[in-house]
Amino acid sequence: MPRTHVSCTVNGDEVDFLASDDTSLLDALRDELGLIGAKEGCGTGDCGACSILVDGRVNCACLMFAPEAEGHDLLTVEGMATGEHLHPLQQTFLEGAALQCGICTPGFLVAAKALLDENPEPTETEIRYALAGNLCRCTGYDKIVRSVQEAAVQLKGAAK
Amino acid sequence: MPRAHLMTDHRRFTDGEAVIEVDGATVGAVIGELERRFPGLGEVLTHASSAGVDGEIHAEPEYLEVGPDTDIYFVAPLAGG
Amino acid sequence: MTATENPPTKYKYIGTRPIRHDGYDKVTGKARFAADKDLPGQLRGSFLRSPHAHARIVSIDTSAALIMAGVKAIVTGADFPTLDVKNPSHDIAVNLMARDVVYYNGHAVACVAATTKPEADAAAAAIVVEYELLPAILTIDESLAEGAPLVNDNNMTKFVESDGPSNLATVTELGRGDVDEAFAAADLVIEREFDTADVHQGYIEPHACIVDVGLDGRADIWASSQGHFKVRALTAATLGWDTARIKVTPAEIGGGFGGKTTIYLEPVAARLSEISGRPVKIVMSRDEVLRATGPAPSSKSRVKIGATNDGELTVMEASLAYGVGPFGDMAGLVGAMSIASYKMPNLKLHSVGALTNTPKTAAYRAPSAPHAAFAVESVIDDVAQALDMDPIDLRLKNAAVEGDLTAMGMPHPKIGFIECLEAMADSDHYKSPVPEGAARGLGTGFWFNIGEQSSATVNLNEDGTATVITGSPDIGGSRASMALMAAETLGIDVYKITPVVADTESVGFTDVTEGSRATFATGMAVVHACRELIEELKTRAAKMMEVEVDTVSWVDGAAVSDGKDPVSLAAITAKAKRTGGPLTATGSLTAAGAGPSFAVHCCDLAVDEETGQVTILRYTAVQDAGTAIHPSYVEGQMQGGSVQGIGWALNEEYIFDTDGALENASFLDYRVPVASDLPMIETIIVEVPNPSHPYGVRGVGETGIVPPMATIANAIQRATGTRMTSLPMSPPKILAALNEA
Repeated sequence: MPRTHVSCTVNGDEVDFLASDDTSLLDALRDELGLIGAKEGCGTGDCGACSILVDGRVNCACLMFAPEAEGHDLLTVEGMATGEHLHPLQQTFLEGAALQCGICTPGFLVAAKALLDENPEPTETEIRYALAGNLCRCTGYDKIVRSVQEAAVQLKGAAK
Repeated sequence: MPRAHLMTDHRRFTDGEAVIEVDGATVGAVIGELERRFPGLGEVLTHASSAGVDGEIHAEPEYLEVGPDTDIYFVAPLAGG
Repeated sequence: MTATENPPTKYKYIGTRPIRHDGYDKVTGKARFAADKDLPGQLRGSFLRSPHAHARIVSIDTSAALIMAGVKAIVTGADFPTLDVKNPSHDIAVNLMARDVVYYNGHAVACVAATTKPEADAAAAAIVVEYELLPAILTIDESLAEGAPLVNDNNMTKFVESDGPSNLATVTELGRGDVDEAFAAADLVIEREFDTADVHQGYIEPHACIVDVGLDGRADIWASSQGHFKVRALTAATLGWDTARIKVTPAEIGGGFGGKTTIYLEPVAARLSEISGRPVKIVMSRDEVLRATGPAPSSKSRVKIGATNDGELTVMEASLAYGVGPFGDMAGLVGAMSIASYKMPNLKLHSVGALTNTPKTAAYRAPSAPHAAFAVESVIDDVAQALDMDPIDLRLKNAAVEGDLTAMGMPHPKIGFIECLEAMADSDHYKSPVPEGAARGLGTGFWFNIGEQSSATVNLNEDGTATVITGSPDIGGSRASMALMAAETLGIDVYKITPVVADTESVGFTDVTEGSRATFATGMAVVHACRELIEELKTRAAKMMEVEVDTVSWVDGAAVSDGKDPVSLAAITAKAKRTGGPLTATGSLTAAGAGPSFAVHCCDLAVDEETGQVTILRYTAVQDAGTAIHPSYVEGQMQGGSVQGIGWALNEEYIFDTDGALENASFLDYRVPVASDLPMIETIIVEVPNPSHPYGVRGVGETGIVPPMATIANAIQRATGTRMTSLPMSPPKILAALNEA
């Protein structure tokens, strides 16, 4: 299959790559751009380990074809920190021990960022439902939810 | 003399005896003596058993030293996940 | 916390919650898991798997596939040496590539290496296999039926004399006392039957590896595994290679829970790499993970318990059967052994492993114990209700303590079951009233934990920082625990220490991270290495202070001697060259004295009697950790195990069709718990230190999965009056049970 030339913005950088029409955006990010943060846990959009933001909305990269990224603004976990400063979610996840094996962590961070960008003061229930598309098998979600709550508090404090 | 405590499965070799006094300086020697007295038992104890000695389970106890008052419990090999 | 005869010692670093050293890489996407590794020129592998549950392979024709675009190599069973049936690796070798027979739907038949995955997939689909169907056994009942066809001609039952092959993997009988007499004398006898289906560990990361075999015949392997030395050993055994030809680097691992303590890929990738002269990367799909790796066994059990009117559990008779897949397995034996929580003076256990034409089962946290505990703890709850006794009080009256016998007949070492029960009784959850419309269940469990072999190297750097090198893949924060134990022993800050998980050529032999052994056994090796270094540091300091070495002690990271200023570790390392050379030490041991870890769980839940849906309102897990090195990661193990158990209890099951094909081979249909299903999981860490470990550690990773199913079943029973005895307790099954009642 011939490959399409795709241009888009990823983590603030203008990038371009080649991908055939049946290549997933997840595979293109990983194989063409070397952005291995997004993971394939299932390939069918059921686990959220490949969560990325597309124009600010959370999407499973495994469910998009690479050429669909043309002209869009993507964020992966690699784009969450700025310079030497972690995003508050990354910091609270570390302090709150919200990861054990860490394979689901990039997806959770991106999905949680999307939540807090839209809803800066989510209730516990809102957090749980917003993250219901991200599977974690190690933590039982408790410390993940608490870390998101703490990040919301910190972001609110910083916004003042 | 060390005492070998056998699981129910093992007792088919010993006519139902659960505790056998067996001489030997190591668990391996005890197993060897048990094989001599009850042919077939040593094979099972070597390949399919750990040994509990002094409250600790040893996975490959062949060279584990035992004394005259030691109780050796032959148990199943354990792994985990 | 609970009072014990030996109150926990105050530590400086142990018990704190530093950010784990490998954490930054994991929150920034920098950490490399096995599928994140690429090599130049690599090929991608794709398996062809059996569509039949049991069949003889008549022929395999790869000719059409071999000439397809991008294809560089294809292997089948004929490309692997035939191992003797008695070789301990025989079954694993056959499981990862079928030889003459396919034993389950999903069994690997061939593997293609091609320049891209789509090309490899297309070529695998073009391989033509002729099968001769054989009768397939899909359930325990079918397996054990009189005259049942054989699942596997090579299977000889262990532990009994037999005339020939059978469908029994193991037959185990354990017992003590006189059960018949005790049942006759009991005031109350309750008997029930239970059944559970296969469930999968559900790790989010599929198995993956990349193998590069050079023209010198040496293989470089990067793999997702709980134990890279085991990957090396099993690969060597499967291929008939010397161990020294293989180097395995453990990638970061995305979950294992016991499912990654064996291998499915590496020898296949190695042969493909050998033949093609290129590196070969194989990544399983989720579908393959569910169809062709190792779920936990299904089970059928019958438990009968007798008690006196004042709550003494005097007798238990149980028969357990585990469906273990097509190869011999110890699940039955271990299941019987796992019954060890109560004094129970009269005991008779009969346990079997039954072969089936379904995937070869593997460990899932505490293997076989959850099945047995589901049954036993459910019946004990019935006893508590019949006697109108609080479920904790009933257990306190009968709980095993040090010296009481396990089912195997061995006395328990120092254990913390009573302390855990007391901590639960004292908990905010248990003392709170049961919410309106809800019911409360209690359950307990334990796991033995293991020791096994570990090695560790500790290198002191010139500036007094340290590198701690171990061979235990970090599945849940163990690097941090190693650094904490080294910090405590050496007396230097935990961030002055870099914990490293090294490949098979860079650290001594270390057994798999399983059996809750890493913090215990590898930690012990780290401590031993540090202690050896301290002796050497004292010797160097003695030279520097110009005193006799026996006047020197090690306090707070420095050498002290009466009348002299303390000499810090950094001061000693700065002069290492002058005082004797590099400061490095190795600890290597077979760790003995692994301490069992008991757990007590409590759950408040509500049952919607119109839909059968269960809502978990509150959940508390109490567990004895011995000493919690890094409490956050101990809590994490307790919470993770609890939630896996909740999934096992309420939704998870393998659903096979009549051809043995897995109908729900995706995360959509194999439904694991998600965040919106659950409340916070409250944890209470009890510390009854394990006398055999320098810091009192008990492994904690496994026990958490043992209590939840009975805990939830007991709550559902108290909510509805109906006892669920079949897992999962999914909405349709609850509705059916309620309608029947």
